[in-house]
Amino acid sequence: MNIIETSKLTKVFPGDIRAVDEVDFEIKAGEIFGFLGPNGAGKTTTIKMLNTLLQPTSGTAVVVGFDIHKDPAEVRKNIGYVAQDVGVDEHATGRENLTLYGHFYRLDGRTIKQRVKELFELVDLTGQEDRLVSTYSGGMRKRLDIAMGLIHQPQLIFLDEPTVGLDPQTRVHIWDYIINLAKAMGVTIFLTTHYMEEADRLADRVAIMDLGKIMVMGTPDELKRSIGGDVVTLSPCTTVDEECKEFIRRTESALSGKPFVTGTQVTDGKLAVYVNKGESAVPGIMRLLASEGIEVDSLSVSRPSLNDVFLKYTGHTIRAEEGRATTYAEMSRKRTRRLR
Amino acid sequence: MNLLADIWFQVMRHLRTQVRMKIWIFINLIQPIVWLVLFTQVFKSLSDMFTAIPGLGTTSYLQFFAPGVVVMTVMFGSAWAGFGMLHDIDMGILSKMLATPVTRVSIITSRVIASMVVLVIQAIIIFTISVIMGVHIATGVPGVLLSLAMVSMLGLGFAAFSNGLALLLKRPEPLMGVINFFTLPTMFLSSTMMPSELLPGWLDSVRQFNPVDHAVVGVRDLVLRGYIWDDLWRSLLVLAAWAALGITFGTLMFRRSAE
Repeated sequence: MNIIETSKLTKVFPGDIRAVDEVDFEIKAGEIFGFLGPNGAGKTTTIKMLNTLLQPTSGTAVVVGFDIHKDPAEVRKNIGYVAQDVGVDEHATGRENLTLYGHFYRLDGRTIKQRVKELFELVDLTGQEDRLVSTYSGGMRKRLDIAMGLIHQPQLIFLDEPTVGLDPQTRVHIWDYIINLAKAMGVTIFLTTHYMEEADRLADRVAIMDLGKIMVMGTPDELKRSIGGDVVTLSPCTTVDEECKEFIRRTESALSGKPFVTGTQVTDGKLAVYVNKGESAVPGIMRLLASEGIEVDSLSVSRPSLNDVFLKYTGHTIRAEEGRATTYAEMSRKRTRRLR
Repeated sequence: MNLLADIWFQVMRHLRTQVRMKIWIFINLIQPIVWLVLFTQVFKSLSDMFTAIPGLGTTSYLQFFAPGVVVMTVMFGSAWAGFGMLHDIDMGILSKMLATPVTRVSIITSRVIASMVVLVIQAIIIFTISVIMGVHIATGVPGVLLSLAMVSMLGLGFAAFSNGLALLLKRPEPLMGVINFFTLPTMFLSSTMMPSELLPGWLDSVRQFNPVDHAVVGVRDLVLRGYIWDDLWRSLLVLAAWAALGITFGTLMFRRSAE
């Protein structure tokens, strides 16, 4: 059974900004589905259409069996939503926060009490129930936030960037809670992230989203296999300047079309070369470059990661997008360039 | 039923939040006393002029000003109510709530009702302090109850407008600006601090359109003179209209931003 089915789901914001552009996908009941993409890719907008906070411009979706246009109230009853911002009331205690949400979902007092107890155990906050949330750490708040989305035992929960802004150790903890709740409660999880490791670690299936479109979808293994073989990453220069770019272009043209190379991809200062067998390809690459008079600063061989998958299907790394505040207009321009 | 339950649980949340702010409670108790003491000192010499106004019903500025302090406190308290809504928007609490089945309209209604509960308690405290300081209330306890009804409507209107503005403006700076722009002039364009007989003619006309003035006139009649029904009916009607206007504006702004 599909718990989410979208058809040509689209959101256009004023100024003709196509945040989500005719997106089609299905999510099966019980799976953890990850939307992977840089900030501004349209992940949050997609979630907000599916949880009825935003009206799609066109297209539609069926969520937990209900049409988001015709039955938004039924959709809300059956889903949990954990937004990117931790939407907990810090002037209330953990228990008060959870209890209020229990009432919103029309649970009776006894059920709420029971669930509060179970959920605090699930997210490992037992003993902290009656402390004000303002005394909670960031990780504790996030765990409470997740618990609030589960109080009514929904069939489906949306986790929008569940670990953004948390330190690496806390992040790993949150991952454990997410995996745990998928197992313990059998809930379908739709999560978005711009962390490769997060998608790789948690998601049964991943959709890579960029500029409002889904570029590719599949299990992390399928996606990695689709690259074929290994990745040899060459870093021919230490600083990225025009000279370096010219250098990479020369290196790329020297290597592309050779029988042992299945593809190449340039990013800032680096060249990814996709090969069938890394170990045997490296000597060949070195010989070729030496004959062209190209000296390489460093070289590494690795199994493909989701990073490589992302790079292959979007033409850029997610890291590059993350560092600077890329406006949507900027990305649109980039897309126009890429289409040309 | 769902609506009432939703309102109840959220009103409790808002009241709990306020009770937890010890400084806020302290300031709110002290503030009216400061006003009563300070302003009666500042305007002490007006008492001499009061003897020349036979219809006023008192020659004591304290006696005259006490109803104004009740109304001022209610107005200032409720006019800033929108900041609570702004906090919920900023913290992502509002959008998280909107993804639940909670009744939409209960979110703004509960905020306005919580403001009203607080301001009614404040008004009772100011009446009590005034009486302790020597103010005589002509209509006694029933008059106080009627006064509370009037200031509740005034506060309801202000709180609803303030919440609506928060949803419209979405940022603290413009919200603060707009509230400041309206509250002080609204107070001075009324007979809160000065008997209408001593106001210039144009101001005396303008105050007819000011809900704050109608609240002041109504409460002051009850405190100084007794049941002057001509004034009281007009005050009640204007204040009911003001409250209705505020609720309409607040609800419209909420619908607009919830979509």
